[in-house]
Amino acid sequence: MSVWNTRPGPPAARRTKLASSLDRLGGRREAPDRATGADGADSKLLEVSHLSTHIWTRAGVVRAVDDVSFELDYGETLGLVGESGCGKSMTALSILRLVPEPAGRIVGGEILFEGEDLLHLSAEQMRDRRGGRIGMIFQDPMTSLNPVHRIGDQIAESARIHLGLSQRAASDRAVELLDKVGIPRARDRARDYPHQFSGGMRQRVMIAIALACDPILLLADEPTTALDVTIQAQILELIVSISAEFHTAVILITHDLGIAAGMCDRINVMYAGRIVESGAVDEIFNRPRMPYTSGLMASIPGLSTARGQPLRTIEGMPPNLIDPPAACRFAARCSDAREICHAGEPELTSRGGPDHHARCWGTDTGGWLP
Amino acid sequence: MRTERRSSRVLQYVLVLLIAITLNFMLPRMMPGNPLALLAGADVGLLSPEQRAEVAARAGLDRSIVDQYTAYLGDLASGDLGFSYRQKRPIVDMILERLPWTFLLAGSALLFSAVVGVALGAFSAWRRGRPADLTLLGVMIALDSLPSFWLGMLFVSFFAVQLGFFPSGGAITAASSLEGVDLVLNIASHAVLPVLTLSLLSVPGVYLTMRYAMLSVLGEDFIRTARAKGVSERGVLFRHVARNALAPVATVLALRLGLAFGGTVVVETVFSYPGLGRLIFEAVSGRDYPVMQATFLVFTVAVLLSNLLADVLYPLIDPRARAT
Repeated sequence: MSVWNTRPGPPAARRTKLASSLDRLGGRREAPDRATGADGADSKLLEVSHLSTHIWTRAGVVRAVDDVSFELDYGETLGLVGESGCGKSMTALSILRLVPEPAGRIVGGEILFEGEDLLHLSAEQMRDRRGGRIGMIFQDPMTSLNPVHRIGDQIAESARIHLGLSQRAASDRAVELLDKVGIPRARDRARDYPHQFSGGMRQRVMIAIALACDPILLLADEPTTALDVTIQAQILELIVSISAEFHTAVILITHDLGIAAGMCDRINVMYAGRIVESGAVDEIFNRPRMPYTSGLMASIPGLSTARGQPLRTIEGMPPNLIDPPAACRFAARCSDAREICHAGEPELTSRGGPDHHARCWGTDTGGWLP
Repeated sequence: MRTERRSSRVLQYVLVLLIAITLNFMLPRMMPGNPLALLAGADVGLLSPEQRAEVAARAGLDRSIVDQYTAYLGDLASGDLGFSYRQKRPIVDMILERLPWTFLLAGSALLFSAVVGVALGAFSAWRRGRPADLTLLGVMIALDSLPSFWLGMLFVSFFAVQLGFFPSGGAITAASSLEGVDLVLNIASHAVLPVLTLSLLSVPGVYLTMRYAMLSVLGEDFIRTARAKGVSERGVLFRHVARNALAPVATVLALRLGLAFGGTVVVETVFSYPGLGRLIFEAVSGRDYPVMQATFLVFTVAVLLSNLLADVLYPLIDPRARAT
């Protein structure tokens, strides 16, 4: 939160000025109170149901996202956690309909965003959502910016497309956003090219691009994985403070449960294309109800881990998603697995706690795990 | 740092030029046979010993090789490229007379193939994998393998002889007193077929480079960023992909400028075009060695200059190449 306080002038005042200038230009379309949304108190910002995204490879069809359902409230921060290849990035790309074609395709489900199904929008309507209502930050800031365009122009492009700003107004907006994400001498730096920025600075620029049109949903796909540890905290703090200030909902994709714990309201743990556990962050951490989640937590090395002591890992590999077993997908790696786990796949069922769900025979009613 | 790098680059070019000049100096001296035969032609056997000595002295062949070399450098520095034994004229005059025509051909062909090659390459990348792209790709690869003399002769026999649309040779109608627009039209109608021949042969190279460069840029992360910003497919293609693909294309084009000079030898011969390429052909068939030597040097300088052009252009297109 300290990021703003170091900048001259109260952020709230600048924000109001910016908001009113955008209002005049007809750029802002959302309801005055973003917390409840336009349609009343109990409607969700995002409702993903039975989403399936497949990728066609030479070896067969990979079910990268397999019947995934979840919800997101206005202003909420949701963590999508899991190891590489579990389908978390593909879930985010599916929401933006940016699954790399022609190899990948969304084959089923529904993505209700502000009440309308994104999968039924025309290409043009979908473009209007991308960068407008939904911003996205990618993993590798070194390759995610266009090397031949000036930083300022890359931010302004979004503002010109969605807010209909003139070149000059869009440039001013770009400078304002650069300043907002903590780039010193923003007006000068806007004229620089990406190669003149460090990794952390580039990720700040990516955040500025994602926020250029004041989105109501921000998708952050491993935003700090490619950065130095010291920079990671700054970038995460920036995302937290900006989303809080603008009341932007965030889906944070990470393989790092520690990061998710520090930032998120709720967490979805994904494994092999499925959500295997979901719930409020405290619930997940205090009472994990799925051995995979416990394993993920145990494998975070702490400062207290003694030198020479081997790091805790989860043995084995995730199953092949071309032909996934008709069993619990984690059973083969699970030390608590019993016969039933190999016989059939459990459903994602309630675990009593507020909105706490898990996909596990062992912790289900009558199960053998605590 | 910046000026250091630039001066070392200039030094490289000077060095290459010096090597080229030296080779050019050595080449006729390393050829088998009597140098007098090179200078005086086939009738050297008819000369008396006194006459031989006189020819050799006039060419400076009685002096040491070092003296000859420094004299050669001195002549080049003062713009003296030697004397043609066939035409009995200074070679500089002959080259200056031919150079504009070759510039006209090579320049127009390069411009034409740049515009057409870049446009078609971009189009192909846009329709990647679809029938339009695959058809174009096939045509271009076929075109790329055609020999220029064959294409040129085909054009002459079809457009010039059978249809009579264009003159079949020359650069301008001889013994005419054309002025203004008529003169320009006359020159243009003479240039159409040779320029078309030269262009058709260099379009595929530009096209293939552009198409490939665009396809490889399309897979970059920043293209996904552009799409995530809501940029339209056309905006992605032109603002993001094409702009990045232009750097390799510009390099290929600049290098081709030098090669285009070489390509004029065949095309100017087929179309009896009075350019530098035809001068080489004439010099070779007439065994006019001093002219060959001088024209080779001009071609070498042309290739070097186009390399220099590529070096200068690249940083303008790709900001990463600008020293910081």
